[in-house]
Amino acid sequence: MRMDPSTPASAATPGDAPGEAAVAASTTATVTTAAGTIDAHKLYGHDESLVRALDGVTVGFERGRFSAIMGPSGSGKSTLLHCLAGLDTLSSGAVYIGETYLANLSDKELTELRRTKVGFIFQAFNLIPTLSANENIMLPMMLGGESGDADWIAQVIDAVGLGDRLTHRPSELSGGQQQRVAVARALASKPQIIFADEPTGNLDSRAGTEILEFMQRAVAELHQTIVMVTHDPIAASYADRVVFLADGRVVDDLADPTPEVIFDRMRNLGD
Amino acid sequence: MSVRSSTLLARKSLRARLGRTIAIAATVVVGVSFVVGSFVLADSLRATFDNLFAEVNEGIDLEIRSAVAFGDGANRDPVPLAVADTVRGVDGVDAVVPLVQGVAQIITPDGDLVSTGGAPTIGTSWAGDDSIGGLVLRDGSFPAGADQVAIDKATADRESIGVGERVEVITEIGRRTYTVSGLVGLGNTDGFAGASLALFDLDTALAVFDRGDRVDVIDVTVVDGADVATVQGRIEAVLPDGLEVITGEQVAEETADAVGGFIDVFGTGLLIFAFITAFVSAFIINNVFAITIGQRLRELALLRAVGASARQVRRMIVVEAVVMSIIATAIGIVGGIAVARLIVALFNAAGLGFPDSGTVLAPRTIIIAAIVGIGITVVSVLVPARRAGRIPPVAALRPELGFAAINTRRLVGAAIVTVLGAISFAIGLFVRPGGSWGLALFAGGGALLLFLGTASMSAAVAKPVTSALGWPIAKLFGTPGALARQNAGRAPRRTAASAAALMIGVALVSAAAVFAASLRDTFVRTLDRAVTADYVISDSSFQGLAPSVAETLRELPELSAVSPFRAIPVEIDGDTTTIGAVDGASIEQLLNLRLIEGSVDGLVDGGLLVNEDRADELGVGVGDRIEFMLANGDVNTLDVGGIYAESAVAGNLLMSIDTLESINNQPPRDFFLVARLADGVDARLADQAVRAAVADLPQVEVQTNAEFRRQQEDQINQLLIVITALLLFAITIAIVGISITLALSVFERTREIGLLRAVGMNRRQLRRTVRWEAVIVSVFGALVGIVLGTLIGIALATAVPDNIIDSVSFSPGITVFIVIAAVIAGLFAALYPSFKASKMSVLEAIATE
Ligand SMILES: Nc1ncnc2c1ncn2[C@@H]1O[C@H](COP(=O)(O)OP(=O)(O)OP(=O)(O)O)[C@@H](O)[C@H]1O
Ligand SMILES: [Mg+2]
Repeated sequence: MRMDPSTPASAATPGDAPGEAAVAASTTATVTTAAGTIDAHKLYGHDESLVRALDGVTVGFERGRFSAIMGPSGSGKSTLLHCLAGLDTLSSGAVYIGETYLANLSDKELTELRRTKVGFIFQAFNLIPTLSANENIMLPMMLGGESGDADWIAQVIDAVGLGDRLTHRPSELSGGQQQRVAVARALASKPQIIFADEPTGNLDSRAGTEILEFMQRAVAELHQTIVMVTHDPIAASYADRVVFLADGRVVDDLADPTPEVIFDRMRNLGD
Repeated sequence: MSVRSSTLLARKSLRARLGRTIAIAATVVVGVSFVVGSFVLADSLRATFDNLFAEVNEGIDLEIRSAVAFGDGANRDPVPLAVADTVRGVDGVDAVVPLVQGVAQIITPDGDLVSTGGAPTIGTSWAGDDSIGGLVLRDGSFPAGADQVAIDKATADRESIGVGERVEVITEIGRRTYTVSGLVGLGNTDGFAGASLALFDLDTALAVFDRGDRVDVIDVTVVDGADVATVQGRIEAVLPDGLEVITGEQVAEETADAVGGFIDVFGTGLLIFAFITAFVSAFIINNVFAITIGQRLRELALLRAVGASARQVRRMIVVEAVVMSIIATAIGIVGGIAVARLIVALFNAAGLGFPDSGTVLAPRTIIIAAIVGIGITVVSVLVPARRAGRIPPVAALRPELGFAAINTRRLVGAAIVTVLGAISFAIGLFVRPGGSWGLALFAGGGALLLFLGTASMSAAVAKPVTSALGWPIAKLFGTPGALARQNAGRAPRRTAASAAALMIGVALVSAAAVFAASLRDTFVRTLDRAVTADYVISDSSFQGLAPSVAETLRELPELSAVSPFRAIPVEIDGDTTTIGAVDGASIEQLLNLRLIEGSVDGLVDGGLLVNEDRADELGVGVGDRIEFMLANGDVNTLDVGGIYAESAVAGNLLMSIDTLESINNQPPRDFFLVARLADGVDARLADQAVRAAVADLPQVEVQTNAEFRRQQEDQINQLLIVITALLLFAITIAIVGISITLALSVFERTREIGLLRAVGMNRRQLRRTVRWEAVIVSVFGALVGIVLGTLIGIALATAVPDNIIDSVSFSPGITVFIVIAAVIAGLFAALYPSFKASKMSVLEAIATE
């Protein structure tokens, strides 16, 4: 099956793939798919040592929502996120962001996509140590030689709530502040979707809560789309939806979860 | 702890860091290669000449020559031919062979001078006996008769001259045609270490070298079974006063020593550059060890945490360094032989006739190579190893361990080292305790300290300076430029250390540039001030001119004055000095002596002119007398006829050529001539006439004042180029050093690079970031080097006597060139690390802890 790189709608695949109309309607609150995978497989190694990190994952993440991915360690969460963000490639299957299939993009186009359409937040080391917080936030725009949407950036920076610490280097910020800057950087270029891999994994619960609330606000008030990997049921409960992975497959999907329900599902998954 | 476990750990760790290990090893290899190359070259040359002189003096049992009262024997009086007959009658003497040697320039069939690339063009008399002097006939026969010459086979082959052909040879009596009677070689070689040889029979040699009935030396063999010492005693008894008889071995030794001295100077010059190269290598090795150990701190701390002692960790690092340096030194020794061959090839390509010598690898060379290669590495690693040993085991648990910050104590230490270096350097140059050894020790040691101190101190300014240098780059190249600027300033000590290697090379080039510019400007000023002649006439191979050239030119009506320059060594009050000789009658038209007292007539009247400073030293004035001794022991006394101020060309003492010829017995030869056009002649026509007069003597170089000046300037420039070329090794190492350091930094910033790529930096931007960081670092090194080098150059130029350099000049062109070259060097240095950085997989980078 040959896929047209620019229009997933032309692909002979069911439901999840967004149509062009959906993109046009994205400014409205209509729920459409911001990114997703179709029958994604990711294999590592050969023969006996073969690992199926992703084993037929078909999933779509809605625009304007805060989604969480959970699952046991080694279930393929990070792998899925990396493939979705264009940092890694699938062994087979398809990944799309908005209306673009990633498989057919060159390294240059992927870089461009990461810079303009995707935001990424890692567990730690999110910031360039030589740049100030403010410069870190502006980095994707600076790399593209653009100034970005000034109103929007002001709004984002305001939401970060760092005040005069914005001119400080990362080493002078707390871990929580650093992560907030990382979220702000992900938001600043107004990407179509933001991926976060355990963004609160390195933080204590108070700092973690700050970040989660910030992300929640970004979705609710700034109409952003966030997909977050987490181990923590409480963190996941901030999301609108939780997708469960186990052994490289989607095994469950919860809407408007509470920590209790998540915890329950997790326990079931464990065995 | 067992050495074995240290060795095991060291080996594992070496293997794990193969790339970096190879990089450090390569630096050692280059440093050692150059040191070994210098020794091998000097030793090989010396061996070549030793062999040459052993051959040349083969079969000679005794030699009769004039004794000298002082000096190295370069100014011996000739020996009367009649002595040969006297000696022939001595009991036990077999062959008696008078020898004459002079300058004989062979003309090729194309009409050009045979080119020896700076080696002498020797003309000599044939002993008449092939058991003496190692000459071997390769083809034809030895020369016999006034129109025969034999030449060396190497030259004949090169110029396609065959036996029986007619060739022209220029000697003391001018250009004549001879028939090639045969081709000769020396022992089993065809050539004479690059020199050309024209062989005449004795009578012909006496005639062409205009010697009358006097020869240079007389070689003697004793009859079979006779005792050489006994015969030597018998000959001594019959020799006239002023002659001596020595053994053949002594002759060979003396000649070899004379050339050996020259080779030593040459070898020492090369060695200086070799040590500079090694010194620069040391900087880089040190820096790379410091960085890699810094990067391994966590691993080392982990070792400590699992129970390794501080000593074990330290020893592991030292063992690692020793193993690596032993291998590198071995490779470097092999590389050194290649370097020696390369230098011979380079010099030959530049037109200097280096004898194609065998390769001599003396045990001494290997020992020094080991000291340099292993020593430098071990010394370089000691400090980082100590630091590694001090790592607390808990460091393994800490997330980040940075490069040590600059602290004030370090800075003060560096400043003290710098000041001490400057003082020692100045003492070496200006006070010179203990002659040339003191100069080398104080100035060399001082320079070493200066470089060390400056390298260390420059860390303090690295941040602001790189920030200033990076400003235009950040403005021009956007975010990559800005990141490059910040990266260059983020580890000032590392930046300073990697720039330091380049700094040293650049400082030396800058110092040489200031020195050369000062030398050139002083020379031009001197020429303008002191010389009023229109022409300078010299021999293109620096072997001097036969007096007949001056005679020929004097006959030209277009020239109103022609004066040769000669000089003889003399001893005045026990000090050896030289007295120059010029044409007394015309010197006033040719040189501006700036006479203070008396007149030039003193010269014509057989007196002396004395420079005012020397006159003060000797305490003489016009009318006083100066007593001096010649090399042959004769004592003469001359009146002081005048005192002059301008010593730049004339030297300190002057006599007339006539006076010189009346007291000196050696065959005359003019160093060079100066001449002046007659008033009112057409300069262009006169120029043609002057050149036409010596047109049949291609070795005679006629230059107008302007041409002469340009040639001298060119020579100074060439010297600068040679110095720069020799420093190129050091500079190349420095560039490699920047490259390695940067590659290590890139490796260290893997995580950061992954992040940049993840948020959308493309490969080109990433390469650009690394590239401009390299440029900033190398320009920083160049700037520090230019500042330090210029100061050193000023010191050097000031230390040199005023008649050589009277004021300091600069060449801004070279400075600009250095900065541009530094930018290019940075771009080169960035090739590998930027390639490395752009090849990093984003995913792996962000997965790196
Ligand atoms: N580069 C790789 N080479 C080989 N196997 C890999 C590689 N990266 C991941 N894997 C394997 O793929 C599987 C999924 O890994 P992944 O990192 O996606 O898990 P995860 O769900 O993020 O786990 P965690 O919660 O521990 O972060 C694991 O079994 C892992 O061992
Ligand atoms: Mg993971």
